[in-house]
Amino acid sequence: MLRVDNYPTHKYKDFGLRHGKPLPFGASLVPGGVNFSVFSRHAASCELMLFKKREPEPYAVIPFPDEFRIGNVFSIIVFDLEVEEIEYGFKMDGPFNPEEGHRFDCTKILMDPYAKVISGRDVWGHDPDWQNVYQHRARIILDDFDWGNDRPLEIPTEDLIIYEMHVRSFTKHPSSGVKYSGTFAAIREKIFYLKGLGINCVELMPVHEFDEFENSRLSPVNGERLMNYWGYSNVGFFAPKAGYAATGKFGMQVDELKALIKDLHGNGIEVILDVVFNHTAEGDERGPYISYRGIDNKTYYMLTPEGYYYNFSGCGNTLNCNNPIVRNMILDCLRYWAAEYHVDGFRFDLASILGRAQDGSPMHNPPLLETLAFDPVLGKCKLIAEAWDAGGLYQVGSFPAWGRWMEWNGKYRDDVRKFLKGESGLVGAVSQCIQGSPELYRWRGTTASVNFITCHDGFTLMDLVSYNYKHNEANGENNNDGSNDNNSWHCGWEGPSTNPAVNSLRRKQIKNAISILMLSQGVPMILSGDEIGNTQFGNNNAYCQDNEISWIDWTLVEKNAELLNFFKKIIAFRNAHPILRNGLHFQNGDYMGTGYPDISWHGLKAWQADWSPYSRILAFMLCGAYAKQGQVNDDFIYVAMNMHWEMHGFELPGLPTGKSWRIFANTDMQPPDDIWSLGIEKELEDQKEILLGPRSVVITVGK
Amino acid sequence: MVTEEDKMEINTKIEQNITVIEVSGNLDGNTAPVAQEKIMPLLISGCRLVFDMGKCNYISSAGLRLLLVIAKQLDRVGGTGAYAALTQETNDVMKITGFDNMFISYPTVTEAVKSFGKI
Repeated sequence: MLRVDNYPTHKYKDFGLRHGKPLPFGASLVPGGVNFSVFSRHAASCELMLFKKREPEPYAVIPFPDEFRIGNVFSIIVFDLEVEEIEYGFKMDGPFNPEEGHRFDCTKILMDPYAKVISGRDVWGHDPDWQNVYQHRARIILDDFDWGNDRPLEIPTEDLIIYEMHVRSFTKHPSSGVKYSGTFAAIREKIFYLKGLGINCVELMPVHEFDEFENSRLSPVNGERLMNYWGYSNVGFFAPKAGYAATGKFGMQVDELKALIKDLHGNGIEVILDVVFNHTAEGDERGPYISYRGIDNKTYYMLTPEGYYYNFSGCGNTLNCNNPIVRNMILDCLRYWAAEYHVDGFRFDLASILGRAQDGSPMHNPPLLETLAFDPVLGKCKLIAEAWDAGGLYQVGSFPAWGRWMEWNGKYRDDVRKFLKGESGLVGAVSQCIQGSPELYRWRGTTASVNFITCHDGFTLMDLVSYNYKHNEANGENNNDGSNDNNSWHCGWEGPSTNPAVNSLRRKQIKNAISILMLSQGVPMILSGDEIGNTQFGNNNAYCQDNEISWIDWTLVEKNAELLNFFKKIIAFRNAHPILRNGLHFQNGDYMGTGYPDISWHGLKAWQADWSPYSRILAFMLCGAYAKQGQVNDDFIYVAMNMHWEMHGFELPGLPTGKSWRIFANTDMQPPDDIWSLGIEKELEDQKEILLGPRSVVITVGK
Repeated sequence: MVTEEDKMEINTKIEQNITVIEVSGNLDGNTAPVAQEKIMPLLISGCRLVFDMGKCNYISSAGLRLLLVIAKQLDRVGGTGAYAALTQETNDVMKITGFDNMFISYPTVTEAVKSFGKI
């Protein structure tokens, strides 16, 4: 059918034009042309700049005719563009008056905040053309990926086991054995490994376009180039990081990431993206013009009454999240990733900023967080908050949730770490951790709590048991960066050791840690590499290290096969036992009349936990009849934790007639007796008492 | 101005009842539209085509996209086609970006031609 609506009505030089559509924002393909639409409340005029790929000078500059502006939106349809061959940007004219919040500069070329593909850093680490005035360049996307029958997996939240990873760190090490190391494509080559480990969700550290050269410098210690390696600093919110794609140089990063997600889904693994909506890569008033500052500074950023940038992010500026325009941009962005990339959920970096008003004050019912909780497109997405910010707002346990929001449970991390290293007075706190922290999340269920002992911020698990102090000298900040509150213990020697006793204790502590994590209610999260004892050599803030400090060493798969085996089996144990994955909190009572409470607490004597301030031991028993609130039947599970440096005998609680205790794991034993395979747990000879070595965990199954 | 890099040629020949389309030169943003114009009319119901890419020195993203457009069009009109002698990198890109399921590729023209015997 011949359409009569797709012809130009206006002309500018050789370009046919037409009134644009204000929505959607960004560049969209329309019959015969491209619709460009951009918001600015305070700009007086706007020009569309068209470039041939990578060229410094535009081949066309098309002013938006005045009649093409509707409200605060400039929109225009340009016909007959070679969409795959061009890049585009905007120039905006308006007031430069920082006290009023305006910083327009009509000499700057500005990237579209809704750009779906961004070029300029196409291959990781390749020096950009610094002379090019347009560094981060918007491109137009063709949406022809075939998803087949794929859809977000919607795994019940209580069944998730999250594996946090950095795309580049995961496979960049020469030992990874993949073809295009450090890329999305390379992760696909390791899916068999992830499946073998037993996790069912990967959480990718930021994959939105960022500039690895931001704040790049040479390390004063070893002369290595330090980079913005982690990427917690967005250039654009809608575009995937080109440098993470083997096909970035062809501009096909969108398809490559989608192919990865589709493949992960096909293998039963969800994908959560770590998203950074608290600030942008434009920094403070000394930073560059990339997009937002030159498009509408006053709208996009939180500003002091004098027009300076609030810095609740610790990164120079703060995105004005509860401005309605920015709020909508965030919503559009998340919907886009959920719908177009089939992403299963999001983890929000410094999420408390999302609950601050435009003047920076914390709000009671932040509209952005509420909108996300109730949004139809995001209706099945996991929403995870890092419930604090760099401005001092700490909301673990009190993040506004509307029944949807989960939290990184920082208290879990701290309490379990202290318990592991043998501090006293932690037994009560750890009993909370085991139960999914009801003191924090009583009305929100166990799934509100993402339990973790390690994450990208801080020590790896191997370093947690190998270092008392951080060793961040290579970061070039005189070891002043990174946390000092690590609650770590080096097991008798700082750093690598040749002492077998030290190394044996470290392995045992790692097994203790993963056991506690996998036996806790809530959603466990593992830091990628912990399962093979990966080290960052004591660096607890490797945000700038694009080298062996960050890269996972795959030779450890063999060297630390003992740890990997333990991880696999304890993960399988969690997956096999629904009593470990209850969505609702235990009631600490026999509410079904089984003769046993859902969870009960024990010490050296059965039924008598030692809650005293000096106690370093705790045992608990789960009654399988209460699995999924009684909907399925499971075994009894008894877990004893002895974090004392002495051996202790634990009296085993009695089981119903016909059942007996079988040992599944004893971290004090050497392989292969440290952990058994599912179903062939060895029946204990002594059903009355079990001996726990110093600093060890025992898991038994009653059936 | 047409430079040396912009040169791209398309030649067709018949081999065992199969049309072999030889693409030589560079397939990039400048030449892909021309190639598309020449190739699209050949994509008709029942056609049996082999694209010999052995003399194609360089394929840009626009060139890659054209290869996909051809594959999709063949599917739509009910024709059959296969690519031959693509570089490893191009084959990799198709796989990495998830387009390999719509994309049949053989190391040589002979193998591609032979494959039609099996259909």
